[in-house]
This record gives sequence, structure tokens and C-alpha cells, in this order.
Amino acid sequence: MLYRTAGQFKTSYQADQALFPVRQDAVLLAVILAFAWVIFPLTASEFTFQTLLIPILIYSLAALGLNLLTGYAGQLSLGTAAFMGVGAYACYKMVTLMPWLNPIVAILFSGVFSAGVGVAFGIPSLRIKGFYLAIATLAAQFFLVWLFEKWGWLYNYNASGAIQVPNLEIFGVYVAGPQASSIVQYFVVLGVVTLLTVVCINLTRGNLGRTWKATRDMDIAAELIGINLMRSKLTAFAVSSYVVGVAGALFVFMWRGAAEPNLFDIPLSFRILFIAIIGGLGSVLGNYLGAILIVGLPVLLNTLPEALGIPISSATVEHLNIMIVGSLIVFFLIIEPHGLARLWALIREKLIIWPFPH
Amino acid sequence: MKQFKRLAAVAALGALMGTTAMAEGLSTPNLAYRTGPFAATGIPIMNGQADYMAMLNARDGGIGGIAIDFSECETGYNTEKGVECYEKTKGSAIVTQPWSTGITLQVLPKTNVDEIPILAPGYGFSPMADGAVFQWAFNTPLSYWDGASIILKYLSEMGDLNGKKVAFLHLDHPFGKEPLPYLEMKAEAMGFELLPIPVGLKEMQNQSAQWLQIRRERPDYVVLWGWGAMNAGAITEAAKTKYPMENILGVWWAGHDADLKLVGEDGKGYKSVSWSFPNPDAPVMADVKKYVIDAGKSQTNPEEMEGVFYSRGLVISAILAEGIVVAQEHAGKPDISASDLRWGLENLNLTEERLEELGLTGMVPPFSTSCSNHTGHSGGWILEWDGAKFVKASDLIMPDSEAISELEMAKAKEYAEANAPWPVNEDCQM
Repeated sequence: MLYRTAGQFKTSYQADQALFPVRQDAVLLAVILAFAWVIFPLTASEFTFQTLLIPILIYSLAALGLNLLTGYAGQLSLGTAAFMGVGAYACYKMVTLMPWLNPIVAILFSGVFSAGVGVAFGIPSLRIKGFYLAIATLAAQFFLVWLFEKWGWLYNYNASGAIQVPNLEIFGVYVAGPQASSIVQYFVVLGVVTLLTVVCINLTRGNLGRTWKATRDMDIAAELIGINLMRSKLTAFAVSSYVVGVAGALFVFMWRGAAEPNLFDIPLSFRILFIAIIGGLGSVLGNYLGAILIVGLPVLLNTLPEALGIPISSATVEHLNIMIVGSLIVFFLIIEPHGLARLWALIREKLIIWPFPH
Repeated sequence: MKQFKRLAAVAALGALMGTTAMAEGLSTPNLAYRTGPFAATGIPIMNGQADYMAMLNARDGGIGGIAIDFSECETGYNTEKGVECYEKTKGSAIVTQPWSTGITLQVLPKTNVDEIPILAPGYGFSPMADGAVFQWAFNTPLSYWDGASIILKYLSEMGDLNGKKVAFLHLDHPFGKEPLPYLEMKAEAMGFELLPIPVGLKEMQNQSAQWLQIRRERPDYVVLWGWGAMNAGAITEAAKTKYPMENILGVWWAGHDADLKLVGEDGKGYKSVSWSFPNPDAPVMADVKKYVIDAGKSQTNPEEMEGVFYSRGLVISAILAEGIVVAQEHAGKPDISASDLRWGLENLNLTEERLEELGLTGMVPPFSTSCSNHTGHSGGWILEWDGAKFVKASDLIMPDSEAISELEMAKAKEYAEANAPWPVNEDCQM
């Protein structure tokens, strides 16, 4: 009913290959964008910005970066958090060395550094695959976190070894640091995430994306049809690390405000990998759904007992939360092992043929 | 589709309620950690804090006739959760108690903008003592630099430190690195060799490499700056390598009874500096037992009540309660605001007599704060493990305030410059 496609005729190949062959998809996206750009900023409280909207967007972007590498190009990586760290530290050094630099430019540029580091650690992927590659990227994880701890220049020799985001402004409006208001930070994050998502959708649908998918599905066959595996894998590492690095810079500059080296340790890598896997490898939408489930849901569950007026200690809530989210993950993976994005695709297909299933 | 609808409904409900959570009484939320890797040390402190406030509510009906809403928000010592808790509780809160150095670092700049006092007794950032710069932050009654200073003073009483070797075994984390600038400065001035040995967060439970280094280097003393599982690891490792226990001195967070009970008799002689001491005969303990424990309002068990950490929790809440009392007198009304409480915490005067009045005899050294001094620098005792419990091994030792305040001012200035524009208290002339 909602998804009736009757009457939507395709008269050209171009129309058939369009991003939204079904009109309702475009409408749905427009509604979501309207919510993100207009309705949420008008209605959200400080708490919602800081604990739901901003973190979900940033985690989605990080997962999207990982998904390009693991989901589209088939190269398993466990070094996501370290590449985020490279982005964050690069951004920190840039804004402290060049205070006149526009913070948004700094954030977008910091991805270049993590792309470089990502390519360097992606070189082993030319020789090894699968789990063995995961171990090689694990080396990046350990090495880089060690470097963040030991290289004093990176954190300006701060006694506590942590980086603190200074107050940064664009045209007199604070966008980062303690003086910045949440709504400004939200719009910066949303703008960057929207931009990179559009770029990534186009990349994955274009020539590069097809090369990656061919590499993922069978690298020998890809080589036989003339794909340069080295270029395919290294571009995947570069683009993925770029997106992850930008996410890392946003993570510290637009949300956390301060970071210690061990923030970028392996638990964060796993968290992002889980978002990508539960959301659905090889999809763009899945990263958002995964981040909502893993980052957003626990926050909502935490506020639930108080909202319903159930007297229960906050430690118990935390234990319950871990159990509920854990079982939900298992539940979703059992009903659809390919992730939430695939689940949505199935629901959508059913809706299109409803009420007359074959 | 149904699932999505339900999810959306929950989301809407949560967003709505997150903003409207209002409570009766003065809201003094605590960002507690009763779960996670540090829970073993967190639970006794959190119980002590909660029990003291519950006792005031039951005995006096709160403070100045208004009940204290001492709610907890669970962080599990996780910085991300901590910031979530801060955002959740800050609406009606008159104070925030962040409880981890990581959370403190993140919340500190925010409290300056939100204008909520941040109470971090015995932890956080040492330069917070400079109240003119850190208007909203309080780390009463001792900072980490004070702690390091007391340890060095105690050691030099044992014999001249010149030419000696002091190992500084610390957690490789902002908390562990905090006293380094002070120790480095002092090593140069006093002529001892400082040997910093970091313990990574992943190596807390297995410190064999670090203790191998200690065995090789043979330092005269080991200063232990550990937290949570790291202390138990260090103490068991020291017992294993037969390093003389009497030459190990820990910070106050390394003086947890449960860590020492693991080694029992072998831990005899281990020392830790502390600004709180369990006094089972103090009137406040009897009141807590009568109004809270016996009334079944707490999960505290008797063994826990005897510990150093439980009494530290009581003392922390007592400091906060005293701040509220002072603020109420100054504001002339019981229903104080966050900035009233800031004034209260800035004008604490816990004299020997006042502590007696509060029933805290011998549990915390007397101290006072001012607008330029947000720490109080109360001094501390050296506690020694006698095989079954901690006993006092020294009189009150005062920190070397002069050298510290110089360092504090310099570092505070650095912080304010790095975070410009950082509003400072211009009226504070001292």
C-alpha cells in the first residue's frame, strides 16, 4: 500500500539505474533528511544532542569508513580506532600549530593524514588475506596507540598526556571547545556526515566501487578481467582511512572535547566493527541502523525506568541494559545474519508486493 | 515495521522524559561506578557517600530542612557514559561528582560554561587548586601534588633522600602521570634519582616486567600510583619478588583494604598516604548504623564499614554537606542554587571543633578553603598495613605548599591560555 510501485514506469536505462528507482524511497529519505536538518535541531534538548544525535552520526561515519574497506573491498580491518586516532591527533596538531585555520577545513584535511597511514598499513593486504590481514591491521592498532602515548610532540607535551580541544570559531561562532553550543556542533557534524555519505554512495556505485566489489568477491577472477589488485586494495584503504580519520577528528573535536590515547584502543575498533556487522556489511544504510542500535539504544534504555517511574538503582539498570542490548544483537543476527540493512530490504520488498504475496 | 514503530515510540518517550526529570530537594548527583573493572574499589566509596546523605535525610530531614536527593548515575568508570550522565543530571543539579580523571578532564571545561561546581575530592587535576582560574572546580582536601609532597617528606624523615633511588610505579594514564611534574622538580632539588615505571592499562594485572625492572634497578623506595586492579597486581607481585613491603608507599587510592587482604601477613609494613581514616568510634558511624544500616536502607555490610574507602566516602559526602550548610547560611535560604554552593565550597572552614560537632572526629584533618585555594591542603597521614587492617603510622604531615602553589599557578595559567577564552574570577585577590 505504502510502497505501491504501480504506475512508476521506467522509460530509459538511466531511470532504471537511478539511485531511487522507487519513488517512495526518495520520499522516505526526504522525510529523514527533514527530521535531521529541521525537526531535530528545533526540538532536541542538550541531552539528546550530546548523547544521541551527535554520537550516532559520528559512529555511523566511522562505521561507514570501515564498511568501505571490509564490506565493499573485503579487507578485514581491526585498526579502525587507531586510524580515528590519527585523524584526531592530526587535527589537534593542525589547529594548535595554525590557529587561524578554519576548523572545518582542519577536520576535512586531517583525514588525509589517516589515509596516508592507512595506505602504509594496507600494504600487507597485497600479500595476505582474511584473518591474517586482520592481525596485520591489529599491529597498526597497537603501534599507533603506543605512539600516541609516547610521542610528546603529538599532545604538545601536556603533563596528563591527553589532548584538550581549544575554543575554535568560524566567523565569530564557536564550533569546537567548551564554549561551542551543541546545536552548532550538531550542524557541523551533520554537514560533514551528509557530504561524506553522498560521496561514499557515489563511489560505491561507480567504477571504483565495482572494482572493490570484484576484489571482494574473488580476487583472482578480478585480476583475470584486468583489475589492478594493488590499486584496488590500496585505494580502498586510502578512502576508508580518510573517512575514518575524519570521523575520528569529529569524535574528539565535535563531541568528546578531550581524549586520552587509550580512548583509541581496541574496544573502540571492535565497537565500530560490530556496528558495521550488525548494520550490514556492504551497505551504506546499515551503518546508521547499526549505530542507532549499538550507540543510541543503551542511552534510551537507561532513561526508560526513570521515565516510567520505576524505582530501580542505576547500577541495576546498567546490568539490565547490557543484557537487553546483548540479546537484541543476538536476536537480530538470528533473524537476519546479513544485518539490519538486509532486514530493511526484506521488509521493503514485502511491502512492495503487499497485500498479494506470491 | 511494528518494531520500528515501537522503537520510535520509545525514542520519543525517552527524549521527552530526559529533559523533564525533576526531583524534589537539592539534587547532588553522583556519577557512580558500581559496575565495570573498577567496581571493587567503587562500591565501598559510593556506599559511604550515599549512606552519609541517607543518614542526614533520616536524622535531620536533610540539610537546613530540605531533603538531599543523592541520586546515582552509573558510569562504569567509562568516560563516554560519564559524559552521558553529566548531561542527564546537570539540569537540576547543584554539583557534579565525576569520579574518574578521564571524566573530570572532559567535564571540567563544560562546568565552567554551565556554571556547576565540580567536586573531585582527592582526585582530578592538581592545578584545580588555583580557584581564581578554576572557579567551578574543587579538589578538597588534598591534590595529587600534595600527596607526592607528603610522601617525599615522610621518606626524607626516614633518612636523607640525596643519592637514593625512588621508583615511581604508576598507571600509564592521566591519573598516573599527574604527579610527575612535581616529582621531577623535587628529584632535582633533593638530589634523588627518579625512576618512572609506567604500567599500561592492559598490564595492570600482570606486572612481571615492571617488577623485574625493579629487581634489577634495586630502588630504595617504590612510590605506587595505582588504581583498581593495578594495586592488587603490584602488591602481590611485590610479595612474590620479596621486595621489602615497608619500602613501598602508595597514594590514597592504593590503600584499599581488600587489595591488602589478598596477601594478608605478607603485606605487613605496606604504607599508603591518606586524608581519611576509619574511626569506628566516631559518632557519625553510630548514626549511620542506627539510621541507615539498621533501618535497612543500605547494602553496606559490616566488614566494608570498617574499611578505609567506606570512611572516605562518608568524609566526601560530609565535605559536600558542609559546603551546602555554608552556602545556605550565606544565601539565607535552604533552597540554594549551583552558584550559592560554589560560594559555600569556597568558604569551607572545617576546624577541629566543627569536625567534632559533625561527629567526624579523627576521620579527616581540619582544613579550610578560600577563593584562591580550592584544595585546602589539609595534610595527610601515613597509614600502615599491620597484617589485618590499616593503622596510622605517622602524625599529620603537611605538604610543601609553597613549591606546590607556584607550580599550580603556572600550570593553571597554561590551561587557561590553551582554552582561551577562559573566564577567571577577577574579584579574587590573594
